[in-house]
Amino acid sequence: MATNELWTPERIPDPFAGVAKLLFDWIPLLLLVLGWEVVSGRAVSESVLPPPTAVAAATVDLFATGEVVPHLAVSLLRVGVGLSLSIVVGVLLGIGMSQSEAVENFFDVFLSLIYPLPKTALVPLALLWLGIGTKTAVLIVFLACLLPIVMNANNAAENVDRNLIRSARMMGTSDRRLFWKVVIPATIPEILTGIRQAIPFAFISLISAELIASEQGMGRLIRDAGSLGRYPAMFATIVIISAVAYTAVYGFEQVRERVLVWT
Amino acid sequence: MDGSIGISNLEKVYGEGTERTKAIDDLSFDIDGGEFVSVVGPSGCGKSTLLYIIAGFLDITDGTVSVDGTPIDGPGTDRGVVFQDYALFPWRTVKENVLYGLEEAGVPDEEADATAQRFIDMMDLSGFENKYPKELSGGMKQRVALARTLAYDPKILLMDEPFGALDQPLRETLQDQLIDIWGDLDKTVVFITHDVEEAVYLSERVMIMTRHPGTKKTVTEVDLDRSGPREDIVTSDEFTRKKNEVWRSLREETKSEVQP
Amino acid sequence: MDVDVRSLGASSIVDSLKSIYSLVLLLVLWEAVTRMGLIYPYFLPQLSVVIHEFVVLVSTGQMIHAAYLTLMRAFVGLAGAAVAGVAVGILCARNALFEWFFDPLIKIGYPVPVISLVPVFMLWFGIGDVSKIIMVAVGTFWPIAVNARDATRQVEQNLIRSARMMGTGDRRLLWRVILPAASPGIFTGLQIATPIALIITFVFEMVAGGGGLGALEIAGVRGFNSAQTYAVIFAIIAIGLVLDRLLRAARTRLLDWT
Ligand SMILES: Nc1ncnc2c1ncn2[C@@H]1O[C@H](COP(=O)(O)OP(=O)(O)O)[C@@H](O)[C@H]1O
Ligand SMILES: [Mg+2]
Repeated sequence: MATNELWTPERIPDPFAGVAKLLFDWIPLLLLVLGWEVVSGRAVSESVLPPPTAVAAATVDLFATGEVVPHLAVSLLRVGVGLSLSIVVGVLLGIGMSQSEAVENFFDVFLSLIYPLPKTALVPLALLWLGIGTKTAVLIVFLACLLPIVMNANNAAENVDRNLIRSARMMGTSDRRLFWKVVIPATIPEILTGIRQAIPFAFISLISAELIASEQGMGRLIRDAGSLGRYPAMFATIVIISAVAYTAVYGFEQVRERVLVWT
Repeated sequence: MDGSIGISNLEKVYGEGTERTKAIDDLSFDIDGGEFVSVVGPSGCGKSTLLYIIAGFLDITDGTVSVDGTPIDGPGTDRGVVFQDYALFPWRTVKENVLYGLEEAGVPDEEADATAQRFIDMMDLSGFENKYPKELSGGMKQRVALARTLAYDPKILLMDEPFGALDQPLRETLQDQLIDIWGDLDKTVVFITHDVEEAVYLSERVMIMTRHPGTKKTVTEVDLDRSGPREDIVTSDEFTRKKNEVWRSLREETKSEVQP
Repeated sequence: MDVDVRSLGASSIVDSLKSIYSLVLLLVLWEAVTRMGLIYPYFLPQLSVVIHEFVVLVSTGQMIHAAYLTLMRAFVGLAGAAVAGVAVGILCARNALFEWFFDPLIKIGYPVPVISLVPVFMLWFGIGDVSKIIMVAVGTFWPIAVNARDATRQVEQNLIRSARMMGTGDRRLLWRVILPAASPGIFTGLQIATPIALIITFVFEMVAGGGGLGALEIAGVRGFNSAQTYAVIFAIIAIGLVLDRLLRAARTRLLDWT
């Protein structure tokens, strides 16, 4: 990967080099925020694009008044439950399909059908069945996350190194133990890849479901703030949920790196 | 333009600060136009670095490298590299790869086509013109790479362990083909290899490099009678003698690597 | 996500029967259960009713028009994002200044759930086509730019050197080497972005109306005509399948050298 040629750390004494480099790297973001602050209220109306300071104030306000807390809690619950369900079902299904032809024959056609379907198109159907609220959101999150996990788990389980299995057999491992001792650990890296691919879809489907079919949650709060003209609060909510998504994505990557050290 | 190469007091340093590595240290060496020179040395001694510097791909830290008496300034069509990993354009067919240099030179279509075909035939690639690189074996890819470089007619051929990945019979075929080409086309060849026998078999002079950081250790003149068939050459006393000489010199370098 | 989906088309009839029996079973069950009145028709109308509704929607032109609107919005936005994303991605990989400026923005911007910006785009650009198209463009820009950037960074240096030694100058290098060499990765970006474009369009249409499949689908729920919702989902599945196959076919066609 190309190193940053604009930056030559020799010019700065060592202890500061790391910090200075970090600052230097984030100048573009700072510029963007500053530009936004300057433009807001001058080139474009403050109500259309509230300045970062107003958004920051609104963010603090949302927490101080506690307004955002129930919405954030319910959104986290939905995304957490939906994603967890999809991990459990996805891993079982993916590995099950690799171990049994009957399971594969039964589910393959459904997976092939929902694979190319943008999962948010199912929000109205979920709404029809489950009504407005948490169940609908969880179902959509679950469906959106299911496929990447199933596919990665299935791929991995089908390609578990034959030699690994052979050598385990040779050492007298029984089939059942083989499954737990060899197949599962060998598929973990790819299952983690599947989860990593699923996380962004989890948030997209969560917000989609909440925009369309919910009376609570961050998606709903964004929409309400928008329609009530509380624009700083609308932007603040977007910032908060983006921060959550950001933490989830990069946090998970850290976890994955840790786990993959011993796998 | 005769294709001579002059290297004097060449020094090459990679990286800065703690990552600083000196790859080549004070290397001087002159190669005549039309000469076939091999470079051998322990791995990591800077052979590829030297070749890429002559090609103009890398900056020089100190010293000068000139071609035909003029200091080099970046890559140029007077020099052609045959890469160890072939570096064929995967999106181009065999024919299109060979045509590339001719297209860049603005050679008219018909003439370019004829030239490309000539080198494809020379390299025994007829019938594979419309294949993509992924469909070819390693030996064929290396022949395409050679044809591609020969087609645009650089005066100097720079070859980086070109036959290193091939099996023995194929190596020998390509070595003999290379000698024929060198004889017919009047090119200067700088040939990097870690195979002593290959170096002695092919070249007029063999430069042995010291281990890291590399510089010129010794130069062995090889004065073989190459008129006969391969088996006569490799069984001749002169060949064995030169091979041992180069091998001993190289051995000193690789041995000193494991000692403290 | 270049995962392989096992294709529906199996080698023999027996195999294909084995692989779709479950679907047939489900459809038969659907019709049987609904005919027996075991499920409230609002939740699940009879399959035959849904098919009839589908035929009616298609023959009256409603479905066609909605599909046209949705696809037009998705693909105009996608086209804009493709041009901007590929340009920014390549510049980031080849130019230190661009890399310095855009890398942190991409790092921050990529994980943002863009769909949360729908209300913002309604505020800024209204609820019309333009708003939807820009939203799609903004949402699909990131995966396209990231894939173009990474693909360009991974272009083998010796390919570039090969071209240079054969006389390719800075200007031509982009067209002669960088773009073709990065094209598989760029195409992957487009393959990832296409479903995202559809996701954004559907959701925007459901939230803001203005026609399109998303609007038609949600109207079925609101108007207590659930057969319409199911019929639209059938259409969306069909469109999804066709688009997926088209992209794969285009890939094997255009990138047959990979
Ligand atoms: N791009 C590079 N950056 C830093 N060091 C390098 C680079 N390329 C080569 N080196 C170092 O320079 C030395 C010579 O490398 P090279 O020319 O590839 O050797 P050879 O071809 O003889 O095996 C090695 O120690 C290698 O680690
Ligand atoms: Mg080398």
